[in-house]
Amino acid sequence: MKIFKADFDCPPWFSSSAKKLIKRILDPNPLTRITVAEIIENEWFKKGYIPPRFERADVSLDDVDAIFNESRDSRNLVEQCEEGSAVPATMNAFELISTSQGLNLSSLFEKQMGLVKRETRFTSKCPANEIISKIEKTAMPMGFGVKKNNYKMKLLGEKTGRKGHLAVTTEIFQVAPSLFMVELRKSEGDTLEFHKFYNNLSTGLKDIVWTTTDRGKVEEKDGDPFVPNSPKSAFTPKSENSLKNSSKALICITEAIVPKEATSEQQKAKGRMHTKCL
Amino acid sequence: MGCFHSKVTRHEDPTELASQTAFIVSEVEALFELFKSISSSVIDDGLINKEEFQLALFMNKKKENIFANRVFDLFDAKKKGVIDFGDFVRALNIFHPNASQEDKTDFAFKLYDMDGTGFIERNEVKLMLIALLCESEMKLGDEIIEAILDKVRTFVTFLDADINQDGKIDILEWQNLVARNPSLLKIMTLPYLRDITTAFPSFVFNSKVDEVAA
Repeated sequence: MKIFKADFDCPPWFSSSAKKLIKRILDPNPLTRITVAEIIENEWFKKGYIPPRFERADVSLDDVDAIFNESRDSRNLVEQCEEGSAVPATMNAFELISTSQGLNLSSLFEKQMGLVKRETRFTSKCPANEIISKIEKTAMPMGFGVKKNNYKMKLLGEKTGRKGHLAVTTEIFQVAPSLFMVELRKSEGDTLEFHKFYNNLSTGLKDIVWTTTDRGKVEEKDGDPFVPNSPKSAFTPKSENSLKNSSKALICITEAIVPKEATSEQQKAKGRMHTKCL
Repeated sequence: MGCFHSKVTRHEDPTELASQTAFIVSEVEALFELFKSISSSVIDDGLINKEEFQLALFMNKKKENIFANRVFDLFDAKKKGVIDFGDFVRALNIFHPNASQEDKTDFAFKLYDMDGTGFIERNEVKLMLIALLCESEMKLGDEIIEAILDKVRTFVTFLDADINQDGKIDILEWQNLVARNPSLLKIMTLPYLRDITTAFPSFVFNSKVDEVAA
C-alpha cells in the first residue's frame, strides 16, 4: 500500500517547509515519526500559531480520572468510605486470573501498532499503608507530586517530557490476607518515560516488592516488567486440551511451591492433599 | 480491491463478514491487515497457528500458557487447529465495545470452564490461579491459594449464586456473578477495535487513492 511506503505526492503549491513537515508526520515508522512536541517546535507550524491555554486547577482524583476516561471501572467502594476508615478494594480470584498475559488480547494490537504497555503491577506482603508511604517517599525526590485518595494515588511529574507532564495512577488491591497487588498506569505523558520512571521507582521500592527469592530459572537478571517474561515455566502442559495432563503438571507445581520452611512431613502431607484435590 | 487470496487459503469475503458482525467493511479490511501480519509470522499460509498466536501475544512463539491455549481453542471454532480469517473476525466481534454483555459473559464462561464440562469447578479455578502465579513468578504457599479460593467460594455463596450448593459455578450462576460484578468481564472488551481503521488503514481507502492518481 502506498501509504505504508509513504509513497505520496504533495500539491505543487505547498511550500518546501510544509512538505518537509508533512513527510515527517506521514512517516510509516512510529519510532522515527515526528512527535506532537516536535511539531509544536517546527518553524512552519509556529508561524501564526497561538498556543491554547490549559488551566491546571487543583482537581480531585476522581475528576482527573473521569477526564482521561480510564477504561478500568473505578472501585467505587473505596471512594465512598471516609478518610482513614477505608480498606483497599479486594481482587477476587477471577480478577487476579484476568491479569494474565494470555488473556490480554490487546497485546495483539499493541505489538502491531508499535505501542508499549501503559501499565504494570507488582505484589507486596507489606501492609497497604506502608506501601503507600513507601511509594510516596520514593516518588517525591524523583520530582513527582503525590495526590492520595484512600488506596489510589496520582503521581504527577513536575518536569515536562516529550508529551507533557507524566502522570501515573496507582491503585492497591488486596488479593489475600496480607497480600496486595499494586497497579501502576500511565494516565498522561509519554509511555517510554513512564517505563523509565517505573524502572527507577522499583529500585527504590525493593524493600516492599515481593518477588521469588529463587530466580535461578530466569535468564535475565531483572525481568522487564512490561514485557511478558519468558522464563522456563514449571507449568508446561504437554497437551493443550486435556485437563488431566494439566492436572499432572499441577501436581508438580504444587509440590514445588510448598514453602521451604515447611517440614518434610508437612510437605508430604501437602503433596498428598493436592493429588487428592484433583 | 485488494487481493484477499493468499498462496494457499481462500479468505471469507469482507462484506459477508461485515454482515455477520458489528464491524463495517472497512473495519473488517483493517482487521485483515492485522490478521495478515500475525498469520504470516511463522508460516505464510493465511492461517494463524498456535505458534503464531503465541508469538503475537507473548513475543515468544514457544511460550505455552493455559489461558492463551483456551483463547486459541475458542477462536478456532471449527476445531481445525488453526484460526482462519473468518474465525478471527467472528471471535474479535465479541470483544468489540458494542458487543452484547450476553455474548461476552458466555465467552468468558467458556474461557474459564477449561475442560468444557459446563461448570467452572474449584479445581479449575485453582489450576488457573497457580498458572497465573507461575506466570508472574509468584510462589505462594498453599494456604494463600486456598485463602484466595475461599474468597471465591464465599463470593459465590454470599451472593446466593451457588443455588444448588454444589461448589461449582454453572452458566446461570456465572451470569449472576457477572451482573453484580461487571469487572469480571474487563478482559472481554478491546477498545482498540473501535479505532481499528485508524490503526490499520483499509484497502478500500487506498485503492480509491490509486484510482484518482491513475
